[in-house]
Amino acid sequence: MKEKESVIKVLDPRTCLMLLIFANLITFFQSSIWIEVGWICFLGCIMLFMGQYRMAVKWIFTYGFILLLQYFLLPAAPKAITTAFTLLVNYSRRMFPCLMAGAFMIKVISLRQFILAMRKMRIPQNLIIPISVTIRYFPAIKEEVHYIRDAIKLRNIRSADKLEAIIVPLMISATATAEELSAAAVTRGIENPIRKTSVTEIKFRLPDYLYGFIGLLFTAGAFVIK
Amino acid sequence: MVSIENISFGYENKEKILKNINLDIKQGECILLCGESGCGKTTVTKLINGLIPHFCEKHNLEGKVFLSGRHVAGTELYELAKSVGSVFQNPKSQFFNLDTDSELSFGMENEGMPPEEMKKRLKDTIEKLQLKKLLGRNIFSLSGGEKQTLAFASVYAMNPAVYVLDEPTANLDTQAIERLRKQIGILKREGHTVIVAEHRLYFLYDCIDRAFYLKNGKILCVFSKEEFHKLTDDARISMGLRSIQQAEVTLPQALPGGRRDGLSAEELSCGYKKAPPVFGKLSFSAIPGEILAITGYNGIGKTTLIRCLCGLVRERDGKVFLEGKEMSARSRRKQSFLVMQDVNHQLFSDSVLEECKMAGREHTEEQIRCVLEKLGLLPFLEQHPMALSGGQKQRLAIATAILSGKKILIFDEPTSGLDYVNMRAVSEVIRQLADANHIILVVTHDREFMQCACDRVLEIK
Repeated sequence: MKEKESVIKVLDPRTCLMLLIFANLITFFQSSIWIEVGWICFLGCIMLFMGQYRMAVKWIFTYGFILLLQYFLLPAAPKAITTAFTLLVNYSRRMFPCLMAGAFMIKVISLRQFILAMRKMRIPQNLIIPISVTIRYFPAIKEEVHYIRDAIKLRNIRSADKLEAIIVPLMISATATAEELSAAAVTRGIENPIRKTSVTEIKFRLPDYLYGFIGLLFTAGAFVIK
Repeated sequence: MVSIENISFGYENKEKILKNINLDIKQGECILLCGESGCGKTTVTKLINGLIPHFCEKHNLEGKVFLSGRHVAGTELYELAKSVGSVFQNPKSQFFNLDTDSELSFGMENEGMPPEEMKKRLKDTIEKLQLKKLLGRNIFSLSGGEKQTLAFASVYAMNPAVYVLDEPTANLDTQAIERLRKQIGILKREGHTVIVAEHRLYFLYDCIDRAFYLKNGKILCVFSKEEFHKLTDDARISMGLRSIQQAEVTLPQALPGGRRDGLSAEELSCGYKKAPPVFGKLSFSAIPGEILAITGYNGIGKTTLIRCLCGLVRERDGKVFLEGKEMSARSRRKQSFLVMQDVNHQLFSDSVLEECKMAGREHTEEQIRCVLEKLGLLPFLEQHPMALSGGQKQRLAIATAILSGKKILIFDEPTSGLDYVNMRAVSEVIRQLADANHIILVVTHDREFMQCACDRVLEIK
């Protein structure tokens, strides 16, 4: 049952990476707002197809709101407010295609798929391991910081010392965690030079080709339509 | 299966950790390595799984270790990984992936096993170890017990001949320990060799074939199963070992809520965001001079309860009183202190003295010295907190709590991974604090400790 569902809802991680690159190109080269609006709608549709309904709604509404701000509210607002906020609003709108593609990628790709994709792209193993350990470590830092903040709240520590108070224990636990993590990884054969296999195969399917093609059209549009 | 010949080991310029160790382990045996903290049992496990010498710098190693006929020092770690699997103490830091499914297949993928065989193995592992509930989950959403089960399962999937477990129960509740006991049973039935280094011994009572007792880096005696069962309590205590059988807890229940002479929680319930409450309508009291143990399975809400009592989370319903006065979360934060399971999170300064000054600015150095003296930390005044031992760090955290004038002291698993002597030392410190009229709550799974150190027990269901 789960298998059937996944055929439509699974994207190749490489497609996501590709979309992210397109998003960057579009952000920096487009000059027509319509390309950007179209791109946001396109990403919104992918999110919907992938079953990320809440995410799609949230991003599209936020984008709509920023558009509204820039083109209707700010021109009508008092001059002081307009000058203060135009730059901020304009730049956050322009960053939107990238942010949206990035957030989508983080949401739908697991660390393992990302590693698989890197392997498929023939990135050398001694680059893959540090990259994946780094990604793996971010959520762990979040957990640690949560404990440390609890500890700080229970000690009367001056606000000036707070940053130091977070960083010192974090560094110490980071060294310990790094050591333990690597011990666990090497005892399970991560250094094995053999060609690694995988339970789940990643490959391009119809949606991947489709999204890739549409993405390419948008990027081309960003360069052509001025 | 495993043979260790004339091994001596030490880090450069330091005293030797192991001295002339010889042991021979047959296939299918279940071996316990026991002894006080620092006796060298973890080092022995590292010799077997190859972390020593492959994963260890600046050391002196004499002698040889053989595993399935292969010389450990002369075999690559990834080759050893096929015949020896390791489960470590800290469930938090032994996962390479962020989701459970990936973790289960991680070892096999590294070996380059064909996908078809891998799927078969996975199915087999899931069935035998009953892992349905763990599948498709984020690592960070698992409880400590579930994490340890996953670590065990991901090793099991690789199907090594020898298993090395280094203090696997340090962070587990009784239910999870029971599960681990069954898992070890499965390994034995399948003819695997199991080597466990542990402080907690009771769960291995039926499993073990032989027990090696280490002291100061030497094997002092080898017990057969029968000899081990016959150990008297006096003999065991003089060896510094924890109870061989599960301790009975015969403590009276916690006092009902509503006391005006201590801390009283009334109809307390608590939860995060929109989720249903973690626990509901909890009423109890804790009075000065008494030590209240709080127990219950992993994930039942003990942590949330103590965070709520400390004022780190707001209660959703109910009230908390201190000496008859209702306390807001803010005033609870001022009155209470939590000694965390990992005390490294709560030491911030660069010397013991500075740490204490930071906690109580209004105290003179004389007063600080007095508190440190009582906790046996005076000789370490100028040391860096991170250079202290685990127990000393714990006592330093307690010192900061006393100096900041906190009335309520809460301990989260203060005895996890401690041997008998250290466990007794912790109970004594806690008793002293109770006698000094502090209100003490201790979250613990450790029944032996509960029975010998606490006065009442609150079981959360």
